Amino acid sequence: MRPIKTKPFDYFVGIQSLEELVNKDSRVCIVNILGSESRKVTPVSHEYSGGNIVAGVQYGKHGVLETRRGDIPVYQSVRDVMHEGHAFDMGVIYLPPSAVSQAVSEMIQLNEDLKRIVIVTEKVSLKDSRNVRYICQEAGVDVIGANCLGVANVWDHVRVGGALGGDHPEEALVKGSVAIHSNSGNFTTTIAEYLKTKGFGITTAVSSGKDVIIHFALPEFLFAAQNDSRTKAIVLYVEPGGYYERMALEMIRDRKFGFNKPIVVCVTGRWKKNITRAVGHAGALAGSGDDALSKEQWFDDYFGVECFDPKHPAVSKRGVRVSSIQSIPEAMKYVYEKIDEAPDFEPHGDLSLKPWLGDKLIRVPVELDIPIVKAMPPYDKQIQEINKQVGAHYLRQSMRNKSGASRMHPATQVSELHGKSVLDLSQHTMEENIYFSLGKVMPESADIPTINLILNLFLKMDESRMDWVDIGRNNGATPNAYIGSQIALIGNKSLLAKTKAQIQEIINLIREFGVDERTTHFPEEMDEYIKSAMLTKDPQLKSEVSEMLMKEIKKSKKQCIAVQVCQHIIQLAEASQLEIRDTYEFLLGSIATCIFWTPMLEKRITREAVEDSMTYFYVVSRIVAYSVIDRPNNKFWKKLIDARISNINASFTENAFKILFNRAPTAADLYEFKTLIGLTITNGPGTISAKGAKESVSARNHISMAFVGYLSNTGFAHGGNGFEAVKFLLDNFKGSALKDPGDKQHGIDLNAIALRVVKQYAQYKQEAKELGNLDYAKIPCVNHPVFKGNDINIDPREKFVRTEFEQKAIYNVFLDFYHRLVQGLFDEGVTKNVFCVNIDAVLAVISLKLVWNEIQGGTFTEKQVQDLVFTMFLFGRAIGTIGEIADHRDRGTDMDCRTPQKELRFVL
Amino acid sequence: MQLSGLRYGAKLLQLVEFPVADFLTGSATNEELQLMLDKYKKLVVKPIFNGGVGKKGKAGLIKIVDNLIDAIAAKRDLYFAEHTYGNKVIRANGVTFEAFIPSELEVYFSITSSSEKREPIFTITPYGGVDIESLPADKKITVPIEPFIGLKSFSITNSLCDLGCPEEFISPLVQNLPKLWTLFNDYGLTTLELNPIRMFKDSRGRLIPYACDIKAGFDQDNPAWKRVGLPPTIFQSDVSQFESEINQLRTYQGQSDVLELNPNGTIIPFMFGGGANSAATETLGSLAIFSSDFGGNPPYEKMYEISRIVFKYWYDKANVLLIIGGKANNTDIYVTFKGIFDALRDHVAAHGRKPIYTVIGRGGPNLVKGLFYGKDILDTLKLPYRVFGYDTSMISTIEYAKKIEQWWADKGKEEFIAKIG
Repeated sequence: MRPIKTKPFDYFVGIQSLEELVNKDSRVCIVNILGSESRKVTPVSHEYSGGNIVAGVQYGKHGVLETRRGDIPVYQSVRDVMHEGHAFDMGVIYLPPSAVSQAVSEMIQLNEDLKRIVIVTEKVSLKDSRNVRYICQEAGVDVIGANCLGVANVWDHVRVGGALGGDHPEEALVKGSVAIHSNSGNFTTTIAEYLKTKGFGITTAVSSGKDVIIHFALPEFLFAAQNDSRTKAIVLYVEPGGYYERMALEMIRDRKFGFNKPIVVCVTGRWKKNITRAVGHAGALAGSGDDALSKEQWFDDYFGVECFDPKHPAVSKRGVRVSSIQSIPEAMKYVYEKIDEAPDFEPHGDLSLKPWLGDKLIRVPVELDIPIVKAMPPYDKQIQEINKQVGAHYLRQSMRNKSGASRMHPATQVSELHGKSVLDLSQHTMEENIYFSLGKVMPESADIPTINLILNLFLKMDESRMDWVDIGRNNGATPNAYIGSQIALIGNKSLLAKTKAQIQEIINLIREFGVDERTTHFPEEMDEYIKSAMLTKDPQLKSEVSEMLMKEIKKSKKQCIAVQVCQHIIQLAEASQLEIRDTYEFLLGSIATCIFWTPMLEKRITREAVEDSMTYFYVVSRIVAYSVIDRPNNKFWKKLIDARISNINASFTENAFKILFNRAPTAADLYEFKTLIGLTITNGPGTISAKGAKESVSARNHISMAFVGYLSNTGFAHGGNGFEAVKFLLDNFKGSALKDPGDKQHGIDLNAIALRVVKQYAQYKQEAKELGNLDYAKIPCVNHPVFKGNDINIDPREKFVRTEFEQKAIYNVFLDFYHRLVQGLFDEGVTKNVFCVNIDAVLAVISLKLVWNEIQGGTFTEKQVQDLVFTMFLFGRAIGTIGEIADHRDRGTDMDCRTPQKELRFVL
Repeated sequence: MQLSGLRYGAKLLQLVEFPVADFLTGSATNEELQLMLDKYKKLVVKPIFNGGVGKKGKAGLIKIVDNLIDAIAAKRDLYFAEHTYGNKVIRANGVTFEAFIPSELEVYFSITSSSEKREPIFTITPYGGVDIESLPADKKITVPIEPFIGLKSFSITNSLCDLGCPEEFISPLVQNLPKLWTLFNDYGLTTLELNPIRMFKDSRGRLIPYACDIKAGFDQDNPAWKRVGLPPTIFQSDVSQFESEINQLRTYQGQSDVLELNPNGTIIPFMFGGGANSAATETLGSLAIFSSDFGGNPPYEKMYEISRIVFKYWYDKANVLLIIGGKANNTDIYVTFKGIFDALRDHVAAHGRKPIYTVIGRGGPNLVKGLFYGKDILDTLKLPYRVFGYDTSMISTIEYAKKIEQWWADKGKEEFIAKIG
């Protein structure tokens, strides 16, 4: 190749003046316009620049990118852009690094009018970068970047490339007489901001990038700046690596072009001298002679003065070097004095220390104790507004087949809720897990009695409602159906809607009036507001329950602003002899706010989740209440649902057990019960029960109806199938003399039963195979698709539970049997190795052990046993469903669970 | 990512069939060493350092031996030899015994990128075996390489002729040196330096250039180096365990560059942007535990993971958490702060709270929302903080953080624990 040379360079440079670099006549095409970065940045650029983007390319797609200046058409290729007649002279590339050089080649081949390309992409390889240089030099196209934020012509109100000036470019990019060339994109904007403090604005700003190859480097920039009549002075930000600056200064010294404009330069990165690996900018890695110190020397020699010292300012007409970017405005002021020029406008602000926010925990020494100042506009108003916001925030997205609550851990195959495995959860009570499912942390121990109180309170109901449940049960409905029928009717009942409104009011009070734990006196305006909005002269409904809740809040010693505010409201009501409007709902709301305040402030949960917390508690409590198996004979249940206060302070887990089993649990019963519930809380978002709830949220149903979604997605195959495993055990232990499955001295020959099962199964399997039936039935709850292939296989989840039971001296004859069974299957040659006893077996053996007395005593029918086993599964999943619903409500979008048309299939 | 020496460098050269001196590693038996001595008469014993390490000869770390006893003694001396290179003291891990190639001429040859030419260049001299910088300009020549053509034989010939290279050596060099472009261009190299290349005369009197030492640098943004099949461990001297964990998050979306500077430092600096990285690291000096650039609008998941690793390593040791950057152009302050402070919250929840002072200086999209995200979590964790906007000089904010650190270390932390706990 005979390279194109444009004087005064011995290579091609198409830009004669900074005014030409980019201006109001530039027409732009963006490649990868719909990529995540461009999608955000390009509309701002387009609007700021008066709509200079003619088209975009998104390989393999077409459409538009919406902007307030109108839609930008998007095509599948540059060829299509050209074919549609969109003329452009600047290309911008946002592609991933490996695709950059091809896109450059494509633009150059297809568009002979192309003058410049801006490459925003970071981490372009050196090889691609030199190839880009080669083909652009050959074609006579200037390149800016890579790894840059592009260029801005402030006089023409145009920016091309990346996001110079951020999302409000007009704030930083103010018209003036200084041109910037910066190795750092961020510093390009930051320096423009800083210059305003001494009254300097910008002509053109160039973010050069700082890869090993800088395509639009200092020699070309200074040449173009000299020829730019708008530019009176130049600011450079320089990092180590490369000889661009020395080359430019040598060209000036050799009078290759008549450069006479002053420069203020900041060189940083002395510390990079001895590093061998780039950090920050890829090209900011010094060799032997291009470290920061050398570059400082080049400039100092050129300026003829030492580094700028604000105390003894000395600058030359050529300019000066500053040690940090904060000195640039001051140095520029002296440079302008030296060249007899005035700043562009009145100074705007200053760079002194101005803390916007600070803690009130401790006083720092006087010299560091700078008072908090009001932020500059528009941030002052934003601070006021955002201070009122509280809780976690999530970006909304399609949550179909996704969850931010649950997952199955890919390594362990153990399901998790909010990062806790179901094995961990199985060690907690129902009430703890209900709180955890929403709050994402376990409750403080001081809050557990309050949680029990609320959950037990919500068990109370009118018994006549159960008539409808009975009708369903008599019709053969499964527990999910008859419970679900009542849950569906909860809707958004007044109690829940009003409680939610009270929670909103309490949170608003705290944030609007800016009170916190350190507040000693509540502001008078707050009291006035409380009196006008929350208190009333009208008598409010009072009950034994509301009195109890009132006492609960009054006596609380919790160090939490929510408690203090609620106590203050009660005091205020009493002092002014007024009543709290909707007292009962206020009390419920107060308790909810107090117990969920910390996780909300820690940004673990959203404000909306706290506002809905009592609804979740109510629905889960009602699921338990409606699940009573033997209603006519269950005295425990009758007391629990009765309006009078009884057992209200007991553990909700214990009460749930009583409702199901119609007996008081032993310590071992309770432990096994909570273990079983904990293990079934979740199996990840892919389970149909979770999907049912999520799909209902997606249709924007009330929370109660989303629970119906989960309930309707359980059934004989999912939940009810637990009974099949129980039935397998029942069939094999039927007629045995087993009295207490928890007694290790049971006197039963388990080996004999196991051997019988093994032989029967071996015979069945052989016959099935002879008949060609390879889809023969498997023994339930043994083997696992992951935990297999070893001589002896263990499901770690089963092992965890077994170990816990052993440590607590809890024996389960059925689990013992299962282990003998898998050994027997191997010993008799039915299996090639010892299968694992899987986690489903754990559920089955716990269930059967808990219900064994009822079966043996004949107090439960087989149907009731079946319902009971099914219902225990529902309890676990109800808890997990809280997290799933709250997560989908926080993150999802309307109808996001819909299946896209392209995934649908018609089957003959 | 650099390597030096024949232990792994030979593998590179063999890819393009460039002759390389025979060598044995430290695990060679006495018999093998004796056989090699019998064949080559002399051996050059060099320590093996991971990463790119030069100036071994100047440091007296290269020994030439002509008998087995001296070879074993050299191995003993050099096997764990320490070498000060740049600002690091590094320790060898093994030796190579390289064939001594008798030669009348030593050639220096390198390919690298020139910022002045903005294209690849080769540098050659027939006066090699010494530091290239120490040679006067008239003893070496640098020539541009057209990237789509590669090394041109006539460029090498002309250069050697101009430098007065004896004619008999030119042809063998011209036959072999162009192969090095293939190596440089196809395997993601940023630099390749062979010094010396010694001209071995074989039994038929033919001259063959043998690479007797090599230095190579690899472009970590070009995955082609992975095709060489070098064990990743050879680059490990370049990275600490902390750096290694962060590096695993390296993608083209958002920066995740860290450089561990002082594990005994007391400021955790989250720096955003290459400029902030350069300026802040300079201002913080040895107080900075590491230098970083987390700009480039990293997604939440990446920022959380980076922060999780940072707190895992440094939370317990630090006095100050500094989050510093200019006015971001496109980095979403809310997203990045959410990542940092969620990770801080989770770290404290899992490992316990320890008082640390937070200083923030930042500007950019979603600024206030991001600042309040941090504020709320710091309030909840009862940790002290000062937050500055971008109307405060970035450098002043860093200086402020340094003063806070000093006070915190002297008595602030104790006072805080006594008052708040």
